[in-house]
Order: sequence, then C-alpha cells, then structure tokens
Amino acid sequence: METSSATSPATSTARPLDEGTGVQPGALLTALEEAQRADEYSHLSEETLRAVALKTGEPLSRVYSVATFYSFFNLKPQGKHTIVVCRGTACHTRGSLGLLREATSRLGIAGFKEEEEPTCTTDDRLFTVRTVACFGQCALAPVVAIDGTIHSRMTTGKLCTIIDAMRKGASR
Amino acid sequence: MNQITTAMIQLTIDGRPVSTPAGSTILEACRASGIKVPTLCHLEGVSSNASCGLCVVEVEGAKSLVRSCVQAAAPGMNIRTGGARVMEARRTVVELLLANHPENCLSCLRNGSCELQAMAELMGVRNKAFPRTKKVTYPDRVGWGVMRDNDKCILCGRCVAVCREMQSVSAIDFIGRGVRSRVAPFLDKPLSESTCVSCGQCTVVCPTGALTERDETDEVFAAINDPSLTVIVQTAPAIRASLGEALGMPAGSLVTGKMAAALRRLDFDHVFDTQFSADLTIMEEGSELLSRLANKGTLPMITSCSPGWISFIETFYPALLPHLSTCKSPQQMFGSIAKTYWAQKAGVDPSKVVVVSIMPCTAKKFEAKRPEMRSAWEWWQKKGKKSAPYFDVDFALTTRELARMIKRAGIDFTALPDEQFDDPLGSSTGAATIFGATGGVMEAALRTAYEVAVGKPLPSLELMAVRGFEGIKEATIDVGGTQLKVAVAHTLKNARVVLDGIAAGTSPYAFVEIMSCPGGCLGGGGQPVAPNWEKRELRRTAIYTEDRGLPLRKSHENESVKALYTEFLEKPLGHESHLLLHTKYTQKTV
Repeated sequence: METSSATSPATSTARPLDEGTGVQPGALLTALEEAQRADEYSHLSEETLRAVALKTGEPLSRVYSVATFYSFFNLKPQGKHTIVVCRGTACHTRGSLGLLREATSRLGIAGFKEEEEPTCTTDDRLFTVRTVACFGQCALAPVVAIDGTIHSRMTTGKLCTIIDAMRKGASR
Repeated sequence: MNQITTAMIQLTIDGRPVSTPAGSTILEACRASGIKVPTLCHLEGVSSNASCGLCVVEVEGAKSLVRSCVQAAAPGMNIRTGGARVMEARRTVVELLLANHPENCLSCLRNGSCELQAMAELMGVRNKAFPRTKKVTYPDRVGWGVMRDNDKCILCGRCVAVCREMQSVSAIDFIGRGVRSRVAPFLDKPLSESTCVSCGQCTVVCPTGALTERDETDEVFAAINDPSLTVIVQTAPAIRASLGEALGMPAGSLVTGKMAAALRRLDFDHVFDTQFSADLTIMEEGSELLSRLANKGTLPMITSCSPGWISFIETFYPALLPHLSTCKSPQQMFGSIAKTYWAQKAGVDPSKVVVVSIMPCTAKKFEAKRPEMRSAWEWWQKKGKKSAPYFDVDFALTTRELARMIKRAGIDFTALPDEQFDDPLGSSTGAATIFGATGGVMEAALRTAYEVAVGKPLPSLELMAVRGFEGIKEATIDVGGTQLKVAVAHTLKNARVVLDGIAAGTSPYAFVEIMSCPGGCLGGGGQPVAPNWEKRELRRTAIYTEDRGLPLRKSHENESVKALYTEFLEKPLGHESHLLLHTKYTQKTV
C-alpha cells in the first residue's frame, strides 16, 4: 500500500562557490561593478545591494560579503574628485604620510584614521581621500592618483596647488 | 553505497600499508584506518574550506606540509601524521588562533565543550605565544534564539557553510578582509534583523562559544525558587533521546524515566510532557487535513511544528503561507492548554503559572516570544480575569541548558531511577514520541487520519516509507480508495525543493511534513553540540524503540487528550480549539 522514492539526500556536499542559484559564475561581481558605475556618488547603497541580490539571485549576505571584501567597492557615497595616496613602503619612506595629512587637513577632514578606515569624504561630497597599499609605481615614489591620473614624485606643494585648483572649479 | 565498485588505492600512513577508495582525501584515508587527525574548520558532508590548517600532515616528497582535509590521497603516497614537524605546525596554528581569542574560558557557555580549548590542550599550548592583532568586538545579544560573540570566532566558516549549504538561508557570510574579516549578516546588522530563522544549526557546529543559544537557566532557577509561582515543565519528544548524550552517556541513550526524575529533583512543581500536546496536535492537524481534503481547501497542507521552518516560509515564500497548517506547534499548544484548562482544573492562578519547555531547538525560544503566542491570556481576558499580559510559554530551554541545570544542581543523572510524568498533561502515545524524527509527524498524523477516514487501523502501523534520513521522502497511501500522496522533507534546503514544486504548480502532494533540522528535531539546533549522522542515527533508533515499546501508539487513543476534548475543547477544530490551538502567519520582511 505504500510506495516510496527518494531524492536529494540530506548529506549533499558543498556546491561550488559561484554556482549560486543557477546564474552565471562571476555575475555578482559584474553586477556590483555596473551598479557602482551607474551611481551618482559611485557607491553601493543598501537599496542598490538589495537590487543586485534580486538580479543575481544571490543571498543578501553574500552580496554584502563580496562588496566589503574588495576595496574597489564603496559602501559610502564618494566625492566628485578622488585623491588616492599610496601608503606602500617606498612611498612611505619618501613622505606619503605627510601628503596624506596635507590632503586631509587642506580639505577639512578631521580625525582621519587610515588604519581603521582607509577612506574619507568631505561633507560637501566634493572630495574623497583614500589610501592604497601600493600602486606598483615604487620607482616614482611618492605617488598620488587624482581622479584616476597618477602623479609621480609628489610634493606637498604640488598637491596643494592641485587641490586648490580643483576646489575652484568644483561644484556639485 | 557503491563502494564495492569503487577502485581502491594503496598508500602508506605512519609506516603501515593502507587501502582507501580512490578519490578519498588524506583525512578520510587516515580516519578510515583509525588514525586521528585533528580538524577545526572541516565539517563532514558540509564544508572543507581548509582555512584552519590544523589537519596538516607530512607527505614524502612534498615541499611543505599538506592540509589533509582537501588533499586527495594518491597511490603510493607515504604519509606521516605525527612527528616533530607536524606537531610544531599544529601547535603554532592553535597559538595563532588563540592570539585573538579572549581568555574568558571560565565564564564561557562552551567551557568544557569547546573544540579550540580541546585543541589547545591536545597540542600542548602552554603560553600566549602571539599578541592580539584584532580590535575587540562586542556580542550580539539582541534576538531570542541565537547569540553571537564574534570575539570568540576563529573564522572557521562552519556556520556560514551550514547556513548556506544545509539550510539555504545564508543569513551570514564573511565580511571585510584581513584582520577586519568577520562573520556577519547583511549590513553587519544583528542576527535578529537578518534572514536568520533561529534554527540554531550554527550553534551545534560552532567549535567555540561564538554562536550559542540564549542561556535562560538563571531565569528558570529564579522562577523555581520563587514560592509564589507554580513552575511546570514540558519536554519535547527528542529530548529523551539526547539528554543522556549531553550528560556524558553514549549517543542514543534513551533516558525518558531519568529525565522525569531529574526534572522533579530540580523542583519543578509538575513534570509534564510535550508529547501530550503532540497527540493533541495530531487530533487538530489530522482533522484539518481531512477537512481540507473534503472541502477542497489549500493543498498540499504543510506541517507547522518547526518554528525555524515557519520563519523560513514567512521570509522566503510568503505567497505559500495558506499551505501551512494553522495548528500551533506542540510547545505552544501545551502552553495555552496549561494556562487555561489545566490551571482551571488545578485551581491555580494562570498568571502565576510559569511554563518551561525543554526543546531540542533554539527557534522555540523565538517562537515562545512571538507576540501572538498569548492565547491563554487573551482567553482569560474574555472571561473577565484581568491581568498583565503573559506568554503561553515563558521559557524554552534547549537540551544543552537542561543538561547544564542538572549538572549545576548536583544531580547524579546516571544514578537516577526511572520515574513517570505527572497526569494529566504528561500522558502520551508512541505517535507523539516519533515527532522527534523526520517523518514522525507524517506517520503519526496518518495513523490517526487513516483510521478516522477509513474506520479501521492502518494495515501497518509503521510507515517505513516516511522514515529515515533521505532528504525528501515520498509515499502514497490508499485511504479508502483515494490515493493520498505525501512527502517529508528535512533541512530547509530540501524544504526549498518541495516549495519550488508547489509554487510551480507541479507538486502532486496532499500533505507535506517539513522539519528545519537534519533528521528532524533529533538533529535540532538545541541538541548536544558536534553532531554527525552516526549520532543522529542512534538518536533516531532510540525514538523508534520508545514508540515500539509503548502500549498506545495512536494519538486518538490518548485518554487524557480524550478527556481534554470531553471536558473542555468539545471537538477538534471547535471554537475553543480555534482560540487556543490555532494561529496565523505573516510575511516577514528583512
């Protein structure tokens, strides 16, 4: 009087990381990149992260995991201009800490603690200052990237001039 | 298994020839031949992310030590699992883990059952070798079920693996990177604000005290010691098959009588049994099924005993909520009957009755605190007996917490005599006992529903097709000429498969049982830590042994339940049942 059949044993083993719920492997990274690029403040808001989860079929926790793993992804709104100070060993020995302090103080960013959070944005969302471990341009140390352009053998004087010029022309 | 057809390979481990199936890892080959290799992050059948580095062994010809949990055994390999190099490496691994681990073992819930503590002892760690590199983090003690203390986390990833691979809930994942990495829910919020369903599977696999139940033993001792309160206790079916194990007896020890004796020695005023209300659940749920079949109600009807499962469907499949039986779980039925029918019968003030339940489950803690679970209080308000609101169930303790209470009270558990539960809420049948195993509720419901519908008992009382640990089991029962298709699923990943079928309209079933945890309640998140399928199988055997030995094995034969209907409820699905034994569900948005 009874028949039985069985499927999907409870002891099933782990599936590959990117298998997700059937979407293409790597789709999550691409979706996050696109979402950040499309954002006015180059960041991933909670709303955006939820939309990405829905689109890719990945759990919210996984989306957040990936977004917090890569320093490329910004979880806070970014400034119109980005100043990236290299804090690698070569740049450090050639004065990058001074450059970082000059940039933050000139932009009125108080209490920037790079060991806790390597990025900070001005209240008017015009400038974001961040640090990076190494650009791979050690021979040209110290190196600062401003809006994607690498400036080599940077000095505090040069940096101030650039910031002041940018500030004059910048508005949101 | 198909091991007979699997090719075997020969290798040498610790100087001895070993034969192992091709494709095994070195770890599997070692363990199969009785050689102990310590592991922390490895979780059999679920994850092997090779993050801890404790399982290293020496392979002849290899440059460095290899992690045996992921390295495949190869023919002719010469492996050494001990020796100075391996011992030193393993000790360093533990010392590195301890660098960021707080030194408050003495006040930790996992004191004595911590795997990291055990490894420190095993590897001969005798001093703090490395300084702390991480910032101190603070515990997440917001919710009712699962507590989190990331400071104790060693990032082994077992919790992430069970939550994702076994439960398909994925409430937690690794966040951040390097020294800042930790395990957390979406947006680093408290667990209670995530998709977590409080199943507690993470708490049984966590090697340390980073993920635990909310311990409420102090509150229960305080209630017991308050002379103005009548403190009654109910024990879930699965506890009798696991409490002994939690107290050092072999896995699968059946301790029903000793448990009743221990609860009495803990000074509970009445020692009752959730199995009473499990029988009651069958009366209500069986009637609900027959009513849905007769009146073309929403089918398949799905069981509603497992609160983790309830949270799961409320969070992930809210559109399917009409499929859920409206029956409360046995824990909650017990609470509302105890504070109405029983309080009235015993002549005690229901607002002074404290209901403590012993559950194999962390989600039960959450369930007890659901705002709608105050039916007894509402019932009394309508009767004009005004009081401040109270819950139907005041405290839900896990198996582990009861074991802790028994130890703390100085009770020599193994030396206790076998005692009986108190009447009337302590009597039950074998149908209630099997609630503790996957397929049990289905079998119990069919034992009764078949007899009610057909007018004679099931041809065979033991429905073997719905027993066992297959992820999804199906059976077809001939009920008076009607072919009733049923399914049983355990673990939420398997629940998802069944639900997707229902959502797609391809589900052929009339009745479905779903339990959140592997093996059902016997593998619950409140059960003894560090489970495996062997232990779950032993607990399962104990449960079915108990059923087979009982004089009554069908819920509708429970005399106390019959009396409850005669004296109080009148009939299943009646007016009072509706008020006290049934509930409703709501979509959960996270």
